[in-house]
Amino acid sequence: MFYPLMNFFQSVSGIAIFPIIVIWFGNSNTTVMIVILYTSFFPIAFNVLSGVRSVPMRYISAARTLGASRFQIIKDVLLPGAMPSVAIGSRLSIGFAWRAVIAGEMLAGQAGLGNMIFAGQEMDNTAQILLGMMLIGLTWIMLDHFLLRPLESDTIERWGLVQR
Amino acid sequence: MTTINEFSVAIQRRFGRQRLRKLILGMIPFIAMIFVWELNTIYVWLDPVEIPPIADVWGAIFWLQELCPGVVAAIEGHGGCTLTNNISSSILRVILAMVIGVPLGIGFGILAGMNRILSAYLEPIGVFMNSVSGIAWIPLAVVWFGVGWETTLFIMLNTIFWLLFFNTMMGVRAVPKVLIQGVQTLGGTRLDAILQVYLPGAMTSIITGLRMAMAFGWRALIAAEMIGGDSGLGFMIFVSSAEFKTEEVFLGIILISIIFLATDRWLLVPLEKWTIERWGLVWKPT
Repeated sequence: MFYPLMNFFQSVSGIAIFPIIVIWFGNSNTTVMIVILYTSFFPIAFNVLSGVRSVPMRYISAARTLGASRFQIIKDVLLPGAMPSVAIGSRLSIGFAWRAVIAGEMLAGQAGLGNMIFAGQEMDNTAQILLGMMLIGLTWIMLDHFLLRPLESDTIERWGLVQR
Repeated sequence: MTTINEFSVAIQRRFGRQRLRKLILGMIPFIAMIFVWELNTIYVWLDPVEIPPIADVWGAIFWLQELCPGVVAAIEGHGGCTLTNNISSSILRVILAMVIGVPLGIGFGILAGMNRILSAYLEPIGVFMNSVSGIAWIPLAVVWFGVGWETTLFIMLNTIFWLLFFNTMMGVRAVPKVLIQGVQTLGGTRLDAILQVYLPGAMTSIITGLRMAMAFGWRALIAAEMIGGDSGLGFMIFVSSAEFKTEEVFLGIILISIIFLATDRWLLVPLEKWTIERWGLVWKPT
């Protein structure tokens, strides 16, 4: 039922919603936070939704005949079954969020790497821009390598849901 | 009563019961949202500056097109047609970036993937370039090209190229060596190997790359138009928000997502179906 609505909101990119948030909250830290929240919420919600829907009805029925409560079904059937989508969704949403942070800082003028390279452009300081870009890339690689990969290997690969 | 019954049966036959059910169920949240929005206009919980009435959003289309003399002029890009000019300049940029970026990305990706040593050199660059998000390039692009057309095009091109390059390279590398040797023993040339083995073998990841490139590229384009552009939908909503014309911002946002949804639905998903599913490369759970 909520599928088309979620799809619609997912495709409204967080950066496009930025001007409205600025009108609502002004150029503040709240604005950047809300844009990040918005961009990261919808990809993961959308992916979890489609992941849970792809769990075969048979498993749920089987768990229910064995006397599982609703909570147990969610915990033991739906969540592990949707785990690949959860992992994909979290990766996507962190990726989108990271980009949104940079854009948000540039546009709202809050302190941060995005603002640093933007200030570099205004002062014609290309070295500062390049440094900022490299730092952004490195931070993302670190995030990916030390946070997302272990998360993925702890959940999906351990449960044998992905063949490598 | 019978006429209504017959009518509903006829509609269900025409469109299919399941599809109709899905469509109507999917419309309920939208209708509820529009209802709440309309209630807000009547009772004014929030200022019209913060959430404009629906009628104003609709009216903004005509307001922006006011100085437009006609349909022909809108296509030709007459100065008065603000809305259609911005839409067409955004879409044209996407098309141009796709036309240049997709063949380049796939081509270089295949060339790099065929050679193990070369791809070992290029992989870290690919990872790094994908990590430096397209948006981070905007200040540098502004310094290089100035504010305008080239900057936005460059940002989009950059995002598309690296995503596609990386995905194609990974896909080509995953093609088993045995298949290539099989083609070569049967007398296939290098071109045969590329066209018949590498390209179909890497198709899944190329299509994934294409969809991701479209999603990330479209977002990057909007951001680029806001910061370093002089036309396009992103530019339009940014300027409108600076002038506190919230209805134009809402209109722009709705248009952006509709255009993205339309390209994804009618361009990329059918492409995926045509290539991947026809070749049986995806296992579909029943």
